[in-house]
Amino acid sequence: MSEELSAHLDLDALEMLKEIMEDEFSLLINTFLNDAVERIEQINAAINAKNSEDIRRAAHSFKGSSANIGAHVLQGLCLVLEDAGHNGDTSLAPEMAKRIEQEFKIISQLLKSNYLA
Amino acid sequence: MTVSAQTNQEGKELTINISGRFDFSSHQEFRKIYENAPSDIHEFIIDMNDATYLDSSALGMLLLLRDHAGGDNADIQIVHCNDDVKKILTISNFGQLFNIH
Amino acid sequence: MTEQKSLKILIADDNDSDRMLLSAIVKKEGHEVIEAINGAEAVSQYVKHSPSLILLDALMPIKDGFEAAQEIKQIAGNQFIPIIFLTSLQDAKSLARCLDSGGDDFLSKPYNRSILKAKINAFYRMRMMNQMIQEHAQQMVVEQKVAKKIFDNVAHLGCLDSDNIQYSLSPLSVFNGDIVLAERKPDGGMYIFIGDFTGHGLPAAIGAMPLAEIFYGMTKKGFSIHEILTEINTKLTRILPVQFFCCAAMVDLDFVEKTARIFVGGLPALYLWREKSKTFDKIDSSSVPLGVMSRENFKPDIQDIPMYDNDRIFLWSDGIIESRAKDGEMFGEERLENLFNQGKHQDELFNFILDNVDQFMLGGERDDDITLVSAQMVDIESLSDDVVVEKNKELGGPLEWSLHYELQSQSLRVFNPLPLVLQIVTEVDGLKNFSGQLYTLLAELYSNALEHGVLGLDSNLKTSGEGFAKYYSLRKERLDSLTTGFIRVILSHEPLNDGKGGRLRISFEDSGPGFNFQKMLKNEHKIDGYCGRGLPLIRTICEEFYYEGVGNKVNAVVVWPNIVENPKKMAGNYE
Repeated sequence: MSEELSAHLDLDALEMLKEIMEDEFSLLINTFLNDAVERIEQINAAINAKNSEDIRRAAHSFKGSSANIGAHVLQGLCLVLEDAGHNGDTSLAPEMAKRIEQEFKIISQLLKSNYLA
Repeated sequence: MTVSAQTNQEGKELTINISGRFDFSSHQEFRKIYENAPSDIHEFIIDMNDATYLDSSALGMLLLLRDHAGGDNADIQIVHCNDDVKKILTISNFGQLFNIH
Repeated sequence: MTEQKSLKILIADDNDSDRMLLSAIVKKEGHEVIEAINGAEAVSQYVKHSPSLILLDALMPIKDGFEAAQEIKQIAGNQFIPIIFLTSLQDAKSLARCLDSGGDDFLSKPYNRSILKAKINAFYRMRMMNQMIQEHAQQMVVEQKVAKKIFDNVAHLGCLDSDNIQYSLSPLSVFNGDIVLAERKPDGGMYIFIGDFTGHGLPAAIGAMPLAEIFYGMTKKGFSIHEILTEINTKLTRILPVQFFCCAAMVDLDFVEKTARIFVGGLPALYLWREKSKTFDKIDSSSVPLGVMSRENFKPDIQDIPMYDNDRIFLWSDGIIESRAKDGEMFGEERLENLFNQGKHQDELFNFILDNVDQFMLGGERDDDITLVSAQMVDIESLSDDVVVEKNKELGGPLEWSLHYELQSQSLRVFNPLPLVLQIVTEVDGLKNFSGQLYTLLAELYSNALEHGVLGLDSNLKTSGEGFAKYYSLRKERLDSLTTGFIRVILSHEPLNDGKGGRLRISFEDSGPGFNFQKMLKNEHKIDGYCGRGLPLIRTICEEFYYEGVGNKVNAVVVWPNIVENPKKMAGNYE
């Protein structure tokens, strides 16, 4: 379990967040999770509209907050999508969006069971 | 601009070479050179061969050197002045204070 | 690092979790947080709370970070408000855009607490330093205003508003190092002084005050241009640090003799406009600037130059010549000379010069504010008579006294007794208002005794231009090598009408051979030639005037309150 955990999340970073946020740590995690749903919707909408600039911006934004929460795999996936948007190459985007969604489901589960229990 | 200096063989003469614009920016550098000169230096030679211009603060620096070198008894030569430099020294009649060649 | 001060910090990020986290970090460091969720809100929160630091996300809806930064920097104006962009933008172009829009630094995600802390502290120090500089700058403006006011009390306008003078001077000229002074002399003449201190700001202001005080004080007392320059030089040499000095020019205009005595030390050449020929003479600097030489070594070169009515002297600091156009080119002497060769009427020349310099600099930088003065030789009648101003109500002072004062050759070489003698005479309150006439009378008698009596100079020399120069060079030559001879001044004063009036007897005796005054008295024109403006003046104010002995002793008696009050009238009787 802990191996799967560290494969998707930076545990040190999360410890640091706990320290900083104190009582509001779970609020931060919940906020991130709620936010993320919105970000993923934005990414999908941009992909459907084939608007590479919007794809770039949404991926960039999601990348930042993923990094802050210690979700390094998700951060990496967002970076790939951001680059694709930046280069105007939307062919890979639907595939990347799917993988981002899958990764998010995983860390969402991991965060809930390990940090919000 | 840059300032450099060397003493001659007998060690009684210090030649200070000025190149480029001689203005306030070289204030520190110029002062350091004559203040750090050995005490047995009796004669200063300012070589303006590579100097392109001097402003009023450069004239002020020359006066500081003159003061340092003994005021009215100072022995200071200013050599190799181009026309612009010579003109500025002439307007100020610095020929009365320095030996200008 | 001991900055424990709590700052007000604005955090603008549309991403809730990121903003929440950053707020928590910043609060943990002890600072107060203001939040904004988009660019527009960031600007309005900035205006409302004036925070001391802004953490700004680059990509936000409703005005992104770039636009918000630009607006905030514009509102802040001179005040330094550090903006740190929150971004993980990686390409150089985006980062450059952050800086271009006014960002001062970046903070990348994920946030690192120690880096953020260090950045907050660094920018806090920068902001403090900036604030201090702003405060110092403001303080300096206030101090300059005060100093300027003090300076104005000392240096007032003198006679700069006379009809024969035009001048242009920056209102804070004393701090750009330039100073212009002008004052009428007791004999009706005029001194004009222009100075350019090296080193702007305080050294200039400090030097300018005693300079002005010496100039006005000594002018009023009748000192010569040589004596005033010597005094100013001595003072400046003493108070200014070695490397600072004052490039200067001084002109002594004599509206009766129609001459200018000119000193130029370190300033660009003066131009003397000759109205008759529509040409100009250049008068080059021929002395060391003031404040360099010791008193013993100060040898101002003063040139005597005949002028005609409507000739005009132009004086300037190097501001005009060194004015720069946008491309950095200097106005230069050649352009200045050309302005004089364009057939302008001399009344238009002054503004023509200023207009041309302004036009030349269009968009360029003003290196130095422009200082320009012109002074015209005019008929003394056309000048307003503000020489004699005081009207004493109560008359008193010493009324019964006599003075014998004999100067031998050494004293004659190095000393001008006139200011001292005038000082003694005008201790008599009733004579104070006539100091101008008395000065002229004394000066006339003294210079006749010295030049014609002791030095044996022929006044006929002065009637031509070349002779004029020759006369003065001979005068200097003979005076410098003088080893024998004397001038004896005898003054006495007695009260009349119970002290409501008085009689002053003046006699000058010299060691010269005298002259045939009997013959001269029969021919008034010749006497005019001999005494220049002296005789008509003497006739006007003297009750008695006569020669004695072989003509080497002259006596004048002045009775007050009957002295004619207007000195220019006396000069007017000349023709």
